[in-house]
Parts: sequence; C-alpha cells; structure tokens
Amino acid sequence: MTNRAGIITAVTTVVLIVLLDWSLGTPPDPYRAPDPMALGSTSGASGAICSLAPGAEK
Amino acid sequence: MLLLTLAVIAGVRFSLLLGLGLLIGFTLERYGFGFAGPWRRLIRDRDAQGMIAQLVAIGLTALAIQPLIAYAPGSLIGAIAPVSLTMIIAAAVFGLSMQMILGCGSGTLVNAGSGNIIGLVALPLFCIGSFLGSLLVPFAIQSTPHIPVSLTSLLGVEQSVAVTLAGLLIVGLIARGFSQGPIWNRRFLTAAVILAALATLHVLIAGQPWGVVYGLGLWAAKAAQGVGWDPSTAQFWIHPINASALKASILTDTTSLTSIGLVIGAALAAWVDSVHRPFKQPVAVWYYLVAALFGLLLGVSSRLAFGCNVGGLFSGIASGSMHGWVWLIAGFIGSIAGVHLRDKIWSLANREIK
Repeated sequence: MTNRAGIITAVTTVVLIVLLDWSLGTPPDPYRAPDPMALGSTSGASGAICSLAPGAEK
Repeated sequence: MLLLTLAVIAGVRFSLLLGLGLLIGFTLERYGFGFAGPWRRLIRDRDAQGMIAQLVAIGLTALAIQPLIAYAPGSLIGAIAPVSLTMIIAAAVFGLSMQMILGCGSGTLVNAGSGNIIGLVALPLFCIGSFLGSLLVPFAIQSTPHIPVSLTSLLGVEQSVAVTLAGLLIVGLIARGFSQGPIWNRRFLTAAVILAALATLHVLIAGQPWGVVYGLGLWAAKAAQGVGWDPSTAQFWIHPINASALKASILTDTTSLTSIGLVIGAALAAWVDSVHRPFKQPVAVWYYLVAALFGLLLGVSSRLAFGCNVGGLFSGIASGSMHGWVWLIAGFIGSIAGVHLRDKIWSLANREIK
C-alpha cells in the first residue's frame, strides 16, 4: 500500500467532518457573511483564536 | 470550484481563508518547511538553516502585522496571550511532544494531509487533547497568575517592531554560533517569504493572526456535544466568543478553515510523489500508541500554552506578545528533551521490526 492511501484517508476524514457538522449543526448563512476583508470593516476579527484566555483578558 | 462554492454558501471571507490554508499547506509540504524538523536538526545535527528561515518568516510577518494591527484596532487583533507558570510548562510539554511525533501544530496537519500514518494517528488525538485542554484552561487561570504582555501596548508600535526584530536577530546569532554548517538555505528562505506574505494576508482577511489549535478543539467540542456533553458546564465554552463558535458552522470558523486548507493543500502537494512512498512506517505497532499519546499531549499542552508553534510561537512573536518569546524558550527546552527521548524510543521501535 502506498502513501496515497493515507492522503485519501486524510482528505476523506476532513470532508466527513465538514459534512457531519453541516448536517447536525447550523449551516452557514451567506446573507450574514462578514465583509471579504476584516481590514477597515465593521465586521473585524471573530476573536476565536488560540491566544484567547477567558478570565485573563485584563 | 471548491473555493467558489464556499464563497456562495458561506461568504467570500471564508472562501479566501480556505484558499489561504490551501496555499500554506501546499507551501509547507512542497518546500519541506516546518518547525519540529528544523529544531530537531539544530539540536541533533547543529544545522540552523531551518531555524533561520523560521526567524525570517516571523520577522517579516512582525514587520507587516504589528503596524497594521496598531493602526486598525477596531478591526484587527493580535495573538496576545498571558504568560504564566502553567503556560511555560505547557509550551515545554508541547516542544517535547512535537519531537516525539515529528509534527507540530501545522506539521501534524501537513503530515496527515500528505498521508503520513503517524500524522494520521496523532491528529484525532490532537483534536481531543485540545478540547480537554480547553476544559483545563479556567483552572489554570484561577490557580496561577496569568499576565498578558503586549509589546506594542507597552512600548508603542515602532519600538515593539524594533525589539521583536532585535530579539529574532539575537536568537539567529545564537543559532548561527551553534551551527556547524551554512545557515542560509534558498528553498527554506523562499518558503519563509511566502509564509510571511500568507500570514500577513491572513491578518488582513480574518482580522486576526494564523492559528491552528482553536479549530481542532472546536471540532472535538462539537463532537462531544453530539454525544451529550453540555457546553454550559464548561467555563471556557460559555465565553461569548466560544459559545458563538460552537453554535456556528466550522465553515465560518477562521482556524477551522485554514486547518482544513492545510490538510488539503499538503495532500495536493504530496499527491504526485505519494505513489512512490510506502504507507507503513518501519516501526513496531506499539509506536503508533506512543504517537497517539503524544498527539493527545500536543492538544492539551497547546491549549494551556495559548497556542502551538503557530498561534503561540509564530503569531505570538509576530504580534508583539511576550508569551510568544516565552513559548520559544520553553518549547525549545522541551524539544531538546524530546529529540533525545524520540531517538531512544524510535530506535527501540525500529529494532523490534527488523
């Protein structure tokens, strides 16, 4: 078996995660989409970021 | 086609972010640019080429994003996180773990995307670990002082950029002093420039720096919710930003999109050569359990360290966050232990199969 089997497994898994989330959760609403660029937009960063530390913001 | 579909069903910003992830994944795989590998080569072989390229990438990104974030505070934010004892320990554990599986935050995604079996084993555990780590974050914050230090707030943007570049230069000089060969590598430097450009674009589009761990923890949190876990019982997940991310589609979450892009981008880059590479690695089966364990540790530690090598080290330093510098030192100390431990365990696992 070649590495290609691993690539197919990885991509299939990612696609399955997206499909599962789509079917069980709230699908995205394009009418509520933010501006294409955050720079200069009122819809800036979501703040959902690795450095987020709730309770230690100050 | 994929990007166009996402633009229509979710929005242009999300499509651009997936596209950025694809380009980052493709670049990392095609140019062999990473974090765990270069640190290993520096520690083991005294080869600083990869490390120098990392510093160039971070420096160029800092030069671009610190002024941008400072002058657009309403729409752009930096990766500023607190420094604490638990954060330092967690970064050291991450450094050790990433050497054990030869994959950091971005590296595990790229390895999995390129079909590497250890990456494929570690990635799901990385997601679960990141979720478990998110449950521990409030306890860590309550138990030890957590002090966020933003160099741009402290010194002003010009001085912050100067201090960041000077710090990177000092690290580079130390690496050069330790190195026993050439320090410049054209392939790595090309990747560094591309990565810095993509990381800057990420800030312009998403409004925040590139990260990995948040999205992985979010996937596991959504899965846990699917099997009955109640997010209202977890302090981390009742924070408005996290609660909102949990309710929304992962196709609208910044780090999820770039992480998905990284896997697919690496898959595209590795596809042609993959037919010549064997799927199975020359190690005993039990080594995959070791990979799973350290994949789990990668997730827990990166959450407690407020980012992996990407969100903590790369984006932290580039944003002017002190936690990025502390991450670098602690992560490197952990990596020194990890390189030696990995060599011992790998040779044992390798010997058993012969």
